[in-house]
Amino acid sequence: MSASTTDVDVIVVGGGPAGACAALVAARAGLSVVLLERGPFPGSKNMYGGVVYPRILDQLIPEWWLEAPVQRWVTRRSTMLLTDTQALTVDFRSEAWGKPPHNGATAYRPDFDHWLAGHAEAAGAQIITSTTVTGLIRDAQGAVIGVRTDRPDGDLTARVVIACDGVNSFLAKEAGLYEHTDAKHFTLGVKETLALPKEVIDERFGVRGRDGVDIEIIGATGGVNGGGFIYTNLETIAVGVVLKITKLGAQQQRPEQIIAALKQHPAIAPLVQDGELKEYSAHLIPEAGLKMMPKMTTAGMLVAGDAAALCLAAGIWLEGVNFAMASGMYAGETAVEAIAGGDTTATGLADYQRRLSDTFVLKDHRKLRRAPELVLSDRVQHLYPTMVANVVERMFRVDNPNPKPGVRRILAQERKRAGVRRRDLLRDGWTGFRSFG
Amino acid sequence: MVSSSGVRERHDMSLPSDVVACLKWVSHPGEPHDERFAGISPADRSALEFALVQAAALGTTVTAVTVGPPAAEKVLREALACGATHAVHVPVHGAMHSAHVADAIAEAVPDARWVWCGDYSLDRGTGSVPAFLAARLGAQQALGIIAVHWQGDGLVATRRLDGGRRELLGVSPPAVVSVEGATAHLRRAGLSALRTAAHAEVRTVHPAATAHADDAVVRAYRPRARALAAPVGDTPLDRLRALTDSGAAVAARGDTVTLEPAAAAARIAAALHEWGYL
Ligand SMILES: Cc1cc2nc3c(=O)[nH]c(=O)nc-3n(C[C@H](O)[C@H](O)[C@H](O)COP(=O)(O)OP(=O)(O)OC[C@H]3O[C@@H](n4cnc5c(N)ncnc54)[C@H](O)[C@@H]3O)c2cc1C
Repeated sequence: MSASTTDVDVIVVGGGPAGACAALVAARAGLSVVLLERGPFPGSKNMYGGVVYPRILDQLIPEWWLEAPVQRWVTRRSTMLLTDTQALTVDFRSEAWGKPPHNGATAYRPDFDHWLAGHAEAAGAQIITSTTVTGLIRDAQGAVIGVRTDRPDGDLTARVVIACDGVNSFLAKEAGLYEHTDAKHFTLGVKETLALPKEVIDERFGVRGRDGVDIEIIGATGGVNGGGFIYTNLETIAVGVVLKITKLGAQQQRPEQIIAALKQHPAIAPLVQDGELKEYSAHLIPEAGLKMMPKMTTAGMLVAGDAAALCLAAGIWLEGVNFAMASGMYAGETAVEAIAGGDTTATGLADYQRRLSDTFVLKDHRKLRRAPELVLSDRVQHLYPTMVANVVERMFRVDNPNPKPGVRRILAQERKRAGVRRRDLLRDGWTGFRSFG
Repeated sequence: MVSSSGVRERHDMSLPSDVVACLKWVSHPGEPHDERFAGISPADRSALEFALVQAAALGTTVTAVTVGPPAAEKVLREALACGATHAVHVPVHGAMHSAHVADAIAEAVPDARWVWCGDYSLDRGTGSVPAFLAARLGAQQALGIIAVHWQGDGLVATRRLDGGRRELLGVSPPAVVSVEGATAHLRRAGLSALRTAAHAEVRTVHPAATAHADDAVVRAYRPRARALAAPVGDTPLDRLRALTDSGAAVAARGDTVTLEPAAAAARIAAALHEWGYL
């Protein structure tokens, strides 16, 4: 479709990080852009754990850290392995992350997304809120030429539609880009936001000023495969779990009960004690990476962010916002080039796939493609935490008058006690090494 | 989100519309300092809908007016998207006494024939702007209206009174009408109207005398006093019961009857009518 026959050049659906970056790039290139968001303002409907890694924004908003609505800079990252009564923590802190150009930051999504979309608006994109896209408009050949919304007189046409409508994108499904969807490819993330005075958070988490903490947790999800997290904001903390949906259904457990149990764990209770519940929220996560990704383009349409299942959920990494921002940015760039070249067919938009493939967006997913399954496997979830915690407990236990046993012997004994087969251990170790190594 | 582009300052106060909707920009009670949650109250939304319906019936246009901070322009663009033709912003910073708000509106729309306002706003103002405005415009007032029936060039407005009673007011122009929130449901703006409204002209009017914010006296919300007859009863307990309508008082005006269903329904309706609920 030519510019003169469409309402606008680009329609972006969804005002999350993917949509804001797509709109920002396209608007800066001088295209007419409309971003449609169903919430009353961008970010109003969005939730996540709490840490963004905005390095990719260096390319879009130089020195973003001077203006981004950040709660705390993450200077401390911990990974906790929990059994019912034990906790093993690997703890790392870096002074450097507290200073520009920083690494990760905790931020509230209604603030962060609103700020990012504000940049798109300043660049000339028109943001229309409280408007839900209900379907695609196609031409006789099946190419996407616009969207239908829930407003009166609600059709809008464009040369390119960028679907950034988040996980379980029905626009990508309607366009036939997902071959199939499977509940086992999703996890459910649930989170409590607990208010505590800043001094209490600083003291409990061992930080000062704007420094913050990111704790990832394996174990203690009540027999449901998944993981947990705790992030510090200025005057609140986020405590949550990410749960494999199929297991959650099978075990008939309620997510809020699992969070409640996590909060009572002896290693967690002192951190969250007296926190006043401010918010409870839940959201799906596309967890299976490459296994579930759709085709990224079709004639007239690109898919970015969670809509394209680009969230990286690989155990100690739960990164979706940076993948969304980057893919949104590349989708915007592709749309700009395709429109300039006058070819918005699937071929004209094919460069999007190359951009994703050549950058961290798909490189990280390829490298970590086995990680989600490994991390959520029954052995990593239920057997290894007990085995490792018992090994460490025995290493540090003083059993006088008995002499200290050798680590190899403890390892062998605890492996057997936990019911882990050597073959599985080696195989998982090798998979882990190939993924994370 | 609405762009502030397209704003032009004007001191020309003549307005082509007979019908005016007054919209107050209020912050959300739970998020008083966050403009993202601010907007207009349900009562003002009703007022705008009535204005649009009436203007369509009279074959005229609606002017939306707001007296408020720069961010209040957002509600005017919403009103334009819903069908208002003109938008007037009287910029003020901070709270302002109702009388001065009314002065500012009256100066901006001196020739208005019909002015629609919300009964009260989410921030629990006094609800007195419409009354001041009626005085300034020399117009009739019909305040706290819960239903409107169009009648020729005028209307019949239903007003809520104490004790579940209703009052019917015949209203003719010029008039100021304030309506409760649940009386009308504001139409949903169309997509292209929203897109156009984002760039439409919003007139900025700085009336000479009154567009200054002053230190409004903000007091805790107190419901309006209701006049009650002195309670009748021999003992303090009886008088308390009579006063609170509990126990004896209710029992005294209730009676037990055995009737056929149709007659029972008629009897109940008659009793409710008598007690002022219908
Ligand atoms: C519990 C949990 C914890 C997480 N923790 C982290 C973390 O700590 N760090 C991290 O980087 N990532 C995290 N993620 C992942 C991250 O939230 C997502 O990857 C990221 O938000 C994806 O961005 P997006 O723009 O693609 O989609 P979203 O942020 O989901 O935005 C989609 C937008 O589209 C709008 N929309 C949807 N449908 C329509 C429609 N039909 N019409 C109009 N608008 C529509 C929505 O309202 C929304 O604004 C977490 C996710 C969850 C659920």
